[in-house]
Amino acid sequence: MNHMPLLTLLLLLPLAGALLMIPLSGRERLARRLALSIALLETLLACSAWFCRGNQLSSAAPKGFFLFTDSPWIDSVGIRYTLGMDGISLLLVILTALVTVIAMLVSWRSINERVSLHYLLLLAMESGIIGVFLSLDLFLFYLFWELMLIPMFFLIAIWGHGRNIYSAIKFFLYTLFGSLLMLLAIIGIYLIHGSQSGSYSFGLAALTGTQLSPAAGLWLYAAFLLAFAVKFPIVPLHTWLPDAHTDAPTAGSVILAGLLLKTGAYGLIRFGYPLFPEAARTLTPFVIVLAVAGIIYASWIAFAQKDMKRLVAYSSVGHMGFVAMGIAVWTPVALSGAVLQMVNHGLTTAALFAMVGMLDERTHTRQIEDYGGLWGKIPLFSSFFVLFAMASAGLPGLNNFVGEFLILAGSFKEVPAATILAFVGVILPLVYTVRLIQEVIFQEERRTLPMPDLTTRELLLLISLALCDIYIGMHPAPLLDILKAPVALLTGGAP
Amino acid sequence: MTTADIFIALPMMLLAVGALLALLIGAVTRDDRIVVIIGVATTLGSALWLMQTPPALIAPALGLSASGMSRLFGGFFALLAAGVLSLSAGYNRERGITGEEYTATLLFATFGMLALSSATNLLTLFLGLEAMSFGFYILVAIDLKRAASGETGLKYLLPGALSAAFLAFGIALIYCVSGTLSIHEAVQLTLTVGRPNPVALAGWGCLLAGIAFKLSLVPAHLWTPDVYQGAPAPVTAFLSGGSKGAAILLLLFLLPQAADATILRIPLWGFAVLSMLVGNLAALLQNRVRRLLAYSSIAQMGYVVIALISGTGGGHKAAAYYAIAYGVMSLAAFGAIAALERSGSGETLDDYRGAGFRHPFASGVLLLALFSLAGIPPTTGFTGKFLIFTAAIRSGEIALAVIGILLAAVSLFYYLRVAVTLYSKSSSIHAGARPNYPEYLVLTAASTAILLLGLFPNALIRLLSHLLP
Repeated sequence: MNHMPLLTLLLLLPLAGALLMIPLSGRERLARRLALSIALLETLLACSAWFCRGNQLSSAAPKGFFLFTDSPWIDSVGIRYTLGMDGISLLLVILTALVTVIAMLVSWRSINERVSLHYLLLLAMESGIIGVFLSLDLFLFYLFWELMLIPMFFLIAIWGHGRNIYSAIKFFLYTLFGSLLMLLAIIGIYLIHGSQSGSYSFGLAALTGTQLSPAAGLWLYAAFLLAFAVKFPIVPLHTWLPDAHTDAPTAGSVILAGLLLKTGAYGLIRFGYPLFPEAARTLTPFVIVLAVAGIIYASWIAFAQKDMKRLVAYSSVGHMGFVAMGIAVWTPVALSGAVLQMVNHGLTTAALFAMVGMLDERTHTRQIEDYGGLWGKIPLFSSFFVLFAMASAGLPGLNNFVGEFLILAGSFKEVPAATILAFVGVILPLVYTVRLIQEVIFQEERRTLPMPDLTTRELLLLISLALCDIYIGMHPAPLLDILKAPVALLTGGAP
Repeated sequence: MTTADIFIALPMMLLAVGALLALLIGAVTRDDRIVVIIGVATTLGSALWLMQTPPALIAPALGLSASGMSRLFGGFFALLAAGVLSLSAGYNRERGITGEEYTATLLFATFGMLALSSATNLLTLFLGLEAMSFGFYILVAIDLKRAASGETGLKYLLPGALSAAFLAFGIALIYCVSGTLSIHEAVQLTLTVGRPNPVALAGWGCLLAGIAFKLSLVPAHLWTPDVYQGAPAPVTAFLSGGSKGAAILLLLFLLPQAADATILRIPLWGFAVLSMLVGNLAALLQNRVRRLLAYSSIAQMGYVVIALISGTGGGHKAAAYYAIAYGVMSLAAFGAIAALERSGSGETLDDYRGAGFRHPFASGVLLLALFSLAGIPPTTGFTGKFLIFTAAIRSGEIALAVIGILLAAVSLFYYLRVAVTLYSKSSSIHAGARPNYPEYLVLTAASTAILLLGLFPNALIRLLSHLLP
């Protein structure tokens, strides 16, 4: 069976939609509806991939992948158009499609100028992110890796607020600085592999197993790690993130936190570890120390935030620290936990940013001290807010708990001391989240602000996210089943 | 004259006849449109001719050949000239640059480029380069109504004359050592394995100094910002895309013939690093878009020099690719600037504020060109840089590659600054003129080329690997 159309379609549908937006400038209603329908269609497509997981592929396809497509592209330098989907990609692609829909719905009313351009950028970004999650050729991967930055840059620069230009440029420079060094490393491993085997290729399958001298491996891996760590972000490379989040429009924050941060982790799982296993093992302690430091430091800083969006941004840094730790430990349990946590964090943080955005849209302030007593005024909103905040804090029965638990359980045997410290990092978010809920939702009202409750659109969006959160929290088995085979293959065991 | 001679010389003759015709038409009618049509027709005609000439013809009596490289680059320069001419029509009308001499001079400059790209001996090479430069001396100063124009012309002419002297002297010294003007033998005999003749080295030193001026490599770059700023925008596009491409081509004729070019590595290394450093850092400080692009062009040429140094790792191919890529990017960038200026935009960054919403088409093209110059995929600039860095690492120039890529990261900042300015809020709602049809056509073609060369570079890379083994 040839499944090439599905992956290519997944990749190109949003891009085609983005091109459709060009002639629609000025026709806002049409642009909005068309963009949303395309995003919904993409979600359907992504979900349909779920049912392909039983596919048996020919032996040409790498193990563990159930959808695969490969054709020559720039074959004069050994670049191929290779896409593949395994369980890890599947979950992240579905997440991408879903979060893009959320981002569109969130900005439904708040974006009123240059509407078609806004949706064009969102759709183009969706294509770029899906490309990152599907590419199995390093050149192709790098292409999408950079491509997804440009729409985000313009989202922040055009529709952002505050010091948005500064933040947009900071975001772009930070991320691209890391990526450029990764480009050199990609070329480096390509040449080393080429001179060893005589055939030059950027394919992941070909490059895996390249014999590298320890020093070369370390340098190349360090360049990859730098690029991924900036995206993650791993403390101390995180400073772009709070600024970018604070000044981005809500849709931008939702995608930034929900999706872009995941690409760094995904890159490390798909490319960093498999390409440089020895170098990765050498640097593992280093990454774990940074990850644990990040978990604690970011939570600490989150305490001090007065701006809700900044608080959620710092909490993201902390949560991604868990993911970094789960990946660094590289045991099957911890790695499945890390991937699951990527999905969980995407869902939960997207919801929190969306809700802060809703408040901001109503009252034009994000300062915690301006709020209070929301429970009495907008009970529907408040209950969802409490739900997502508790999910983010890792309440058992909700999704983040499962991921964090797996990461900690999988790490304890390998690095007990770090796991114990990271456990402190589980408690800290609970403290600042409870404080946030207390001050915003339950404390008595401090300022009279105009505050209608949720609209149908907002309600729909939050219900869908809440259902995902609760489902994963209660019954994560199907997702873990999907992750089993690829994780086992990556960590070197039998599936 | 044999048939082969005529076959090879025909595109050049066509251009020369076109130029003369343009001058003669001036006596009959004052309508510049007819002149432009003649110009575009002759450039397109010679481009078409070059594409269909049977390859590998040599006309020894003329010192010309129709090698693959000359046909590829000759056709490219002719197409570039056609694009520039089409852009100029509306721009010149707006600026009050009238007269048939504009078109005629531009055709003469193109004639020089074509002569250079089909040269087989050093003398033709030099004559072609100087015929081209001569055209540019006039073109950059052709806007007589502006006071700055004369200054611009002089700033280009004086260093240009100096560089011509260096080039001529360098060629003389190389001839003196090798006793032949044929490119292949002269280079072989002067850049030998082992210790080359000191006189030959002096010749190569002079030659590189002369070329450094044409490519505006630091420290021979001082003319660049002023000339980019002062010349009419379409001329700047041609100067940036065409004349630099021709200078790169000249080096590509010479360097691959060398038995051992390592002796040139040190000066070229210096040129590359200094140009990238000074170009990128100085561009950070600019407030005028054209000056910014001038410094960016200095930096870009530094990257080309990296490719030229890495000849053993496939760098010549990369340099040829980048010459074409840079030509297309220059046409797009300065073409878009020409369209923006024609509709009344000023030249500082502040004047470009919000232009993305007032002039979506031209700004979109400028944006694409900027991203391409910055080396962001999926543009031709990215593919070009990718080829350059691959070549550099393959030939062991890792330090150069790392310096280059770090400075490329720096360069992002100023390209992004322009990009952001284009799409930031502004109070001005003055829309000005819409782009005219030639502008639509040329800018669309240039943007398509930027994307196609970026996404599907296979054919060009294959062709270049065939031509520059």
